[in-house]
Amino acid sequence: MKLFKKILIANRGEIAVRIIRACKELDIRTVAIYSDIDRDSLHTRFADESVCIGPASSAQSYNNIPSILTAAEITDSEAIHPGYGFLSENHHFAEACLTSGITFIGPTAESIRLGGDKAKARQIMKRRGVPVVPGSDGHVVSEEAALKTAKKIGFPVILKASAGGGGRGMRIAKAEDELDKFYFMAQREALAAFGNGELYVEKFIPAMRHVEVQILADTKGNIVHLGERDCSIQRRHQKLIEESPSPGTTEKFRKKVGEYAIKAAKAFKYRNAGTVEFIVDPDGGIYFMEMNTRLQVEHPVTESVTGVDIVKEQIKIAAGFPLELKQTQVRLSGHSIECRINAEDPERFIPSPGKITFLSLPGGPGVRVDTAAYNGCVIPAHYDSLVAKLIVHGRDRSEALARLKRALDEFIIEGIKTTIPFHKKVLNDPDFVKGEFNTGFVEKMGTPKTSEEK
Amino acid sequence: MELEDLKSLIELLKDTDITELQVEQEGTKVRIRREKMFPAVEISQMKAALQENIAGEKEEETQRLITVTAPIVGTFYRSPSPEASQFVELGLQVKKGQVLCIIEAMKLMNEIESEVDGIVMKVLVENGQPVEYGEPLFLIEPL
Repeated sequence: MKLFKKILIANRGEIAVRIIRACKELDIRTVAIYSDIDRDSLHTRFADESVCIGPASSAQSYNNIPSILTAAEITDSEAIHPGYGFLSENHHFAEACLTSGITFIGPTAESIRLGGDKAKARQIMKRRGVPVVPGSDGHVVSEEAALKTAKKIGFPVILKASAGGGGRGMRIAKAEDELDKFYFMAQREALAAFGNGELYVEKFIPAMRHVEVQILADTKGNIVHLGERDCSIQRRHQKLIEESPSPGTTEKFRKKVGEYAIKAAKAFKYRNAGTVEFIVDPDGGIYFMEMNTRLQVEHPVTESVTGVDIVKEQIKIAAGFPLELKQTQVRLSGHSIECRINAEDPERFIPSPGKITFLSLPGGPGVRVDTAAYNGCVIPAHYDSLVAKLIVHGRDRSEALARLKRALDEFIIEGIKTTIPFHKKVLNDPDFVKGEFNTGFVEKMGTPKTSEEK
Repeated sequence: MELEDLKSLIELLKDTDITELQVEQEGTKVRIRREKMFPAVEISQMKAALQENIAGEKEEETQRLITVTAPIVGTFYRSPSPEASQFVELGLQVKKGQVLCIIEAMKLMNEIESEVDGIVMKVLVENGQPVEYGEPLFLIEPL
């Protein structure tokens, strides 16, 4: 068995740089693709070759399947790593790679399709004995059916888009009249955002924690989990801070949630790296939420506590190598926290693209920064607002918190607004320091409410 | 048919102007095809003419020239098929909407048309070469 000679990275920004690093350490040549406004991006400099594949608009560049496959063809790339976002969860792309004879570094098209159908995934998990939040069996066919389910499980309920993600097509209904009002709103939103208006109903759990489990599955049927990440610090379902382990959890909890994750991966006939997301209620009840069939933004916190290079594992799995890691060898050592530094106004979370006039990255013991930013670079308005990920690792949570605090003080970005002040504020919150928080934390902390916010 | 027979057939084509030969014998069909090659002299003459063109007109003409760029990533072809003649020739006139070249992407042949009436002053990419989005392909002097 052989590793690939050359991999094309179908992404940009920090994740493209992250993947190139893994390839270099594995002695694999790399091809960067870029849109014409990304000509001076770091990923095009770090890669061995680079190909301009289209104009700024991602529909014509980073989401343009024919152009990306052609770029792979003319550069003789054997495999494509999709990163996260863009085409990473597009089952048509995985299928197109397969038919073009190029290895897609990720799960099969079928697993991706199932991961994208949240209502169906819920149904399958329920049958496999993985607990799901009480709600509809699959999607609801009508408003009447939604109401019937809501009455059975009790209000408040949450309406979610079957093809959804990122908080769109999601509405919380506290009573019957609200369900009446929100059903069509959520449906319309889902249809507009995902081209699919199918909804499902779940009991709304107010003080929930978002806990997810990283899994690795090879093509021989071996599956291991790399422990959990807590991603409860969110704003409008967008994660801002992630950590591993989840504060206050026990080995017993980890074992249970890990077993559920492996059960879910088996039901998905999963291979490569994936993440199973769970809702944890205030009583410690664990419920399957959804499966993300790609590399996650927050994968470095798991890398920090386990010592496993997830991207290298992805590449080796895609090349057909069996997992060397056994479940008994997986140990979470110390504590890791990641802050997403976005080009956003920290008060109102409005995007703040522009030129970085001065940049100084933090360093020192236990500090990792994943970024594609440099002095004088431009953060374009066309793409994701993520500028950098600051990841710290400490012996325990309190050392990690202290490191994070001083690293945030060292982090200087001038020319654009970033979420650094927001993270500093979170670190001064006594509940966060104690590890006592849930997904309602950011709202409770007193972020000024905008007109859209509920 | 033996290997020796094939060799002698190929030998036969050398030093001729024949670019394609088809032989059928006892149910075996053999077709030998080759690209038309210019004799060495002709090429050097073309080069000289081209360089003259560039040197003489560089200063004042560059601003007037229109650059045709690749609208997609792919493989650049100057003719619709290997046997066919090129879409456009250096120094000759093209009309607005006339096909200049093909860019192949995902087995699809995309015809790239001229946006102006003009004269092809320079071909910047060799036949069969990969091109990226935005890569300059031709310089055309508008009329």
